[in-house]
Amino acid sequence: MLHVAHLGGFLVLKTAAVRFAAFAIGACILVPHPSAWAQSAALPAVSSAPAASAAPGAAAPQAPPASPLTQAPRAGAAAAGGASAEPGTGTRGLDQDIQGLKKDVVDLNRDLFVLEEELLFPANTQVAVFVSMDVGEFFLLDTVTLKIDQKEVANYLYTPREVEALGKGGVHRLYLGNLKAGPHELVAFFSGQGPHERDYRRGATLRFEKGIGAKYLELKINDRQRRQQPEFEIKDWE
Amino acid sequence: MGRQQADGRAARCSRAAWTGALAGALASVVLVASAAADYALIGHDAPDFALHATAGNNVRLSEHRGDVVVLSFWGSRCGQCRMQLAALNRSFKTYHSAGLQVFGVNVDDDQGGALEFARTEALGFPLLLDPGKAVARAYLVDNLPMTVLIDRGGSVRQVHRDFSSKFEPAYLQQLRVLLNE
Repeated sequence: MLHVAHLGGFLVLKTAAVRFAAFAIGACILVPHPSAWAQSAALPAVSSAPAASAAPGAAAPQAPPASPLTQAPRAGAAAAGGASAEPGTGTRGLDQDIQGLKKDVVDLNRDLFVLEEELLFPANTQVAVFVSMDVGEFFLLDTVTLKIDQKEVANYLYTPREVEALGKGGVHRLYLGNLKAGPHELVAFFSGQGPHERDYRRGATLRFEKGIGAKYLELKINDRQRRQQPEFEIKDWE
Repeated sequence: MGRQQADGRAARCSRAAWTGALAGALASVVLVASAAADYALIGHDAPDFALHATAGNNVRLSEHRGDVVVLSFWGSRCGQCRMQLAALNRSFKTYHSAGLQVFGVNVDDDQGGALEFARTEALGFPLLLDPGKAVARAYLVDNLPMTVLIDRGGSVRQVHRDFSSKFEPAYLQQLRVLLNE
């Protein structure tokens, strides 16, 4: 029986053996998270080096006092003898197993996502439209409406957080779909607040040829400093 | 002797009052529970949406994951809706700091009434406009007012159709449970 609980970045692992050891010494054993092990192992070396350099002529610095986290297993080891080292390695191995399983799940999820995209949007018909924004000083984006071949395929409302993310260089995938090879027309309508906080609505059109491969289009919102106006363009990524 | 009779009457009255209050509370809990029983979205992820607000910024539900969200679907010609929005405003003021978000979703075809209401009533939470009723359809709204309670994990937990001030304690109790999670 294993109980795992988060406690301020540390995992409290209690196996039956650890419980026995804890019962024997009347203490609870805290095992730090693997990411913290390396850190805690490096701490004494890092902390002792400046002390030695600060007082070169002084006597050798004493070892830093062990933290309660490191003391507890030692106390457990002392109390339970040589056999108590096994619970520590057991829990460590178990934790590594859990981390490995988590990684496997993440990898599997990624593979499934890729597979889903490949099945739903094959490369020979795939069209993706992205939105990006540069600065955004003259335009506060509210909505983007996208039409492909006179048919509305996307209408996205942007929240201030999303606009902020775009302003920081983020790119939003507005649309992912399928189109057959041949000529197509894309029309994008941008609405929001323009200069002097006036309602602003502009459109941009692009005629493009869909070939065999996937098509990537980018709706770019730029500031045109000379005219003090926003500028909208559609870029075709070859 | 007379004093004993008076004490007995007082005790009986007090017992009756307690029984009545308990029955009322139980009835309201039963009514609230029965309202939630036939709602298909209970226990499912709340459908995400983004809507314009009558004033201020656009609102996207998924950005409020981690908060307890109350969606109140209302119409400007519905008297009970106004009462409910006022009650929700009181709850919002009390529990906003504890992570409560309230959104009033107006489902009028004509947004004029909602804008007028937003202008006259000083509500602390955003009033959203859903003239296309896409969000109302996603939340299976079949009655006004209708309130949907969404937990911090983004799952629909409770639904209330109709509103009466006597149900308010039960609503608050449910809210507190969600806020304590």
